[in-house]
Amino acid sequence: MNVVDLKNVTKRFDQFVAVRDLSFEVREGTIFGLLGPNGAGKTTSIRMIVNIFAPDEGDVLVMGKHVSPELQPHIGYLPEERGLYKKMKIGDQLVFFANLKGVESTEAHRRVDEWLKLLELSDWKNKKPTDLSKGMQQKVQFIASVIHDPDVMILDEPFSGLDPVSVNLLKNVILDLKQRGKSIIFSTHQMEQVEQMCDDICLINHGRQVLSGGLKEVKRRYGKNTVIIDYEGPDNFLGGSDLVKHHNRFPNYSEILLNDGADAQELLKRALAAGARVNRFELVEPSLNEIFIESVTGKASVNNRENVA
Amino acid sequence: MKKVLIIIKREYLVRVRTRAFLIGTIVSPLFLLGVIILPGFLAGRGGGGQRQITVLDQSGDPKLFDAIKDRLETHVLRPDSNEENDFGAATQFVLTRQIVPTDQNPNDSIKRASTGGADQSSEKAYLILGPDVLDDGAPEYHAKNLSDFSIRALAESVAAAISERKLMKAGFDAAKIGHYMKPVDLKMFKVGAGGESKEGGMRQDFMIAFALLFFLYITVLIYGLFVMRGVIEEKQSRIVEVVISSVKPTQMMFGKVIGIGLVGLTQVGIWALSTALLSFFGAAVFASRGARIPNIPMSLLVYFVLYFVLGFFLYATLYAMVGSIVSSEEDAQQAQMPVTMLIVVPMMIFGLVMTNPDSTSSIVLSMVPFFAPTLMMLRIAVINPPVWQVILSMLIMVVTILGCVWVAAKIYRVGILMYGKRPSIAELGKWLRYT
Repeated sequence: MNVVDLKNVTKRFDQFVAVRDLSFEVREGTIFGLLGPNGAGKTTSIRMIVNIFAPDEGDVLVMGKHVSPELQPHIGYLPEERGLYKKMKIGDQLVFFANLKGVESTEAHRRVDEWLKLLELSDWKNKKPTDLSKGMQQKVQFIASVIHDPDVMILDEPFSGLDPVSVNLLKNVILDLKQRGKSIIFSTHQMEQVEQMCDDICLINHGRQVLSGGLKEVKRRYGKNTVIIDYEGPDNFLGGSDLVKHHNRFPNYSEILLNDGADAQELLKRALAAGARVNRFELVEPSLNEIFIESVTGKASVNNRENVA
Repeated sequence: MKKVLIIIKREYLVRVRTRAFLIGTIVSPLFLLGVIILPGFLAGRGGGGQRQITVLDQSGDPKLFDAIKDRLETHVLRPDSNEENDFGAATQFVLTRQIVPTDQNPNDSIKRASTGGADQSSEKAYLILGPDVLDDGAPEYHAKNLSDFSIRALAESVAAAISERKLMKAGFDAAKIGHYMKPVDLKMFKVGAGGESKEGGMRQDFMIAFALLFFLYITVLIYGLFVMRGVIEEKQSRIVEVVISSVKPTQMMFGKVIGIGLVGLTQVGIWALSTALLSFFGAAVFASRGARIPNIPMSLLVYFVLYFVLGFFLYATLYAMVGSIVSSEEDAQQAQMPVTMLIVVPMMIFGLVMTNPDSTSSIVLSMVPFFAPTLMMLRIAVINPPVWQVILSMLIMVVTILGCVWVAAKIYRVGILMYGKRPSIAELGKWLRYT
């Protein structure tokens, strides 16, 4: 069953079309990655799911029903730009947000204590946000979005500004929520995190869908057309090559996207002929990062679905 | 509806619990009270007690001294008149007579006393009754302190005593003189709406009217700005997005306006109640200590609260709208100007209304919804305008408030999610048509 369904949704602001004929679905109990460059229409899409905006055309369904105030308690939302009331104690704020989502005060207090303990913030319950580090505030904001135990959670860049320890802590919490059958829409620019966590993805650009499907399936669609090569010596065998479409240089290795029909063995031969000492040569599926850049910059020709007009 | 209540509760508790609220609620009325009664107290203290006056008498009429002494030492002050001695300075005069021969300059005695005298410290005052004081000459009063509230009583007594002696010398019957010399007061009556007259005073009316006007102005302005800042805080910190994923923007706005309005009502209510209690029970206490406080009619306090509520809702919705379209406090400084001007204008023209509260222009001005809270309140305090005018002004305000709420809600809904450049009027017009 799909917990969230967008069917041919369009949203305009005056002349500007923020979302154009967009469709995607989020399966129950999965983590769904909503990806796209800045200004692609992610936030507008999310705002339609949480009932801040109404679509001009198309349908937005949550748990099979059109979004309405009645559905809001079932949705948890952590916006990318978020904040807390400066002059209100952490505990009080969280109870306030829980109340707004229909959780009674006694129950809210119990849950606040539970969550603060889980995210190691118990000592800060009676402090004000100004006493907390940015990372701690992030965690408090995360709690605010899940305090009412929603079935669908929308997390927009949940890890930004967090130290690795906190990132891990939060990741485990999110995976735990998934284990309990919650569905999560995860929006981020960190492609490694998407590769680690998401089941399905949808990549949008200029308000339209560019790519969507299961993460593994999407990558398979691209085929093993990427070479990871770790070498020492000259790199002139890469320049002006008819084999190389795109080249990402990293300190310890290079990621090379091959042209359609290019033979990886040919590249290896040229590298050796050029006098490079090859320590590692591996043919892999492209990284999501690569797919993202290719899709968004329009260089990709591999996308099996309809191309961007 | 329940969600609006949750927001109201938050807005209310967060503000009422602050120290600023406590201080504002308690200190402001104390300050006002101080302004009203302190001068009376001080005057009472300063003038109170004894005042030693040496009468340097060259008049050759011992009965003149007796007459002055009699008046000053017995029934001197008439605390019931409407003049300065309202404040009831119960100064006690002690007069001593010192006959100065007509060929001596009485000023020399004063000099002598104040330079070589043993008791320089004590405040000595001198009353010179020259040889011609019962003809055309004027009595003179020499003292270090001339700005005392009790001086008027002294002047009146001396003048009356001299007149009395003059009449005696002219051969009038002593018994009749007392009757003729009785001071005449001009009593003031205020004609109410129903034509009934009530005794009162110009000065008292003015003070009450001004105090009410001023407090309404300040409270509506301050609480309106609270609403604006609250909206900006939520917008700047991006809390709005989380809140409006739970409630409608309009509910959020109402919750905020009502919550802050209740804070204001609490404060104004405390003020009104304490003023009422003070008028009822406090007046006697203060009067017994020689100070009088103006008696504020209960109806005025009720009107004050009503106009606060109406004025607040009118301006708060406008300020909420302003808050929603700006992205920072600095931006708000400019954007709020038109709204703040609407509050300030009546403060600049209230003199016009006060001097001519019944003129057509005053009536019209007090009907303008944005001016009504202050100007109609002022007219009510000064002249008791016909009831229909008061009710009409309130109705106009209610209609205006509904209109403003409608516009503000539409703008707010869009504005709180817009960041960056402040929208132009044309853009705001477009926002009104968004669905």
